[in-house]
Amino acid sequence: MTEAAHQQRVGRPVPLSALFTAFLTVSLCGVGGGGGIVWARRIAVENRRWISDGEFADIVSLCQFMPGPNIVGIAVCVGAKMRGAIGTIAALCGFLVIPWAVGFSLGVLCLEYSHLAILRNILGGIAAAAAGLLIATGIRLLMPHRRRPAALLFAALAFGLIIFGRLPLLVVLFGLVPLSIAVAGVENARAR
Amino acid sequence: MSDPSAPIALTAHLALVSSISFGGFPTVLPDVRNFVVSTHGWMTDQEFASFFAIAQSIPGPNMILMMSFVGWRVWGFPGALASAFATFGPPCAIYFTAYRLWDRFRDAPWQRIVRLGLVPVTMGIVIAGGAVMARAADTGWRTAGLTIAAAAITLATRFNPMWMLLAGAALGGLGLL
Repeated sequence: MTEAAHQQRVGRPVPLSALFTAFLTVSLCGVGGGGGIVWARRIAVENRRWISDGEFADIVSLCQFMPGPNIVGIAVCVGAKMRGAIGTIAALCGFLVIPWAVGFSLGVLCLEYSHLAILRNILGGIAAAAAGLLIATGIRLLMPHRRRPAALLFAALAFGLIIFGRLPLLVVLFGLVPLSIAVAGVENARAR
Repeated sequence: MSDPSAPIALTAHLALVSSISFGGFPTVLPDVRNFVVSTHGWMTDQEFASFFAIAQSIPGPNMILMMSFVGWRVWGFPGALASAFATFGPPCAIYFTAYRLWDRFRDAPWQRIVRLGLVPVTMGIVIAGGAVMARAADTGWRTAGLTIAAAAITLATRFNPMWMLLAGAALGGLGLL
């Protein structure tokens, strides 16, 4: 899969317009916090087959470690992978320009009508479904690691410390990741 | 705005916090709230909360939109544009540089080990993010059922996720949730 994506990149460069429209779609579909990951995976991995699930998980992990809106980071990284700096700009423009203009106008309108009950009910239904989609995407990206007990343990620990321990994200990230990498290093050394 | 330097102060502050917003912009929201509501009194708590609710339910780059509403409230349309740039500009430069470095060492053995350790933790955090959203959105057994059904259908099939969101919108709009 990785090799296939690489071959395609070398043989026939992805058009900038394709990067633009793909991330325009990701942006317009990603309703609610975190929804962008659901759509970025759906489009970049399943539909366009630009990158594999493994590469996508890498990019998401890298972005988790960087400051800023992570989903914008996915556009930057996929654009950079496919076409370098110019690809990043194409993906970023697709992700931001039109959705920002539409969203900003809609938002200013919504601020005028935010008291309507039916609007709030619709938004509540969307939010409940969007939460389910996000959980499913996390599970799916974890699947390639399901045969390593240590991977499942660290995923469960990260989940538990945030949900039940109510620890800040940064504490969980910088507390667990060095441990998790150390365990992976020991496993790797033993496998030799 | 009585203070003419307000737009500059807001833009500079947003550029600063976006550069240190590890784990996504929501992690620095409390800081932004303090800056615009408590310290400067540019808007009320209610206004800030409604900006959040609306940005969350509009398709598109939510946090960039939310900061645009904040900028719009302080300095009209130019403020909205300046806040948007301050929110995504610095992180994008960092993402690009980081990805270039990561890609350069793609075949290094240490990177395989880092990946094996890193990915499970971040996926646990992604799933936890979904659970946090579910806790906010699921007000009863019906909405909780909808969340579980959406997750199960997404895992079991390759249906377009848009159907799940439309079903949620329809059920909510009909008052069934």
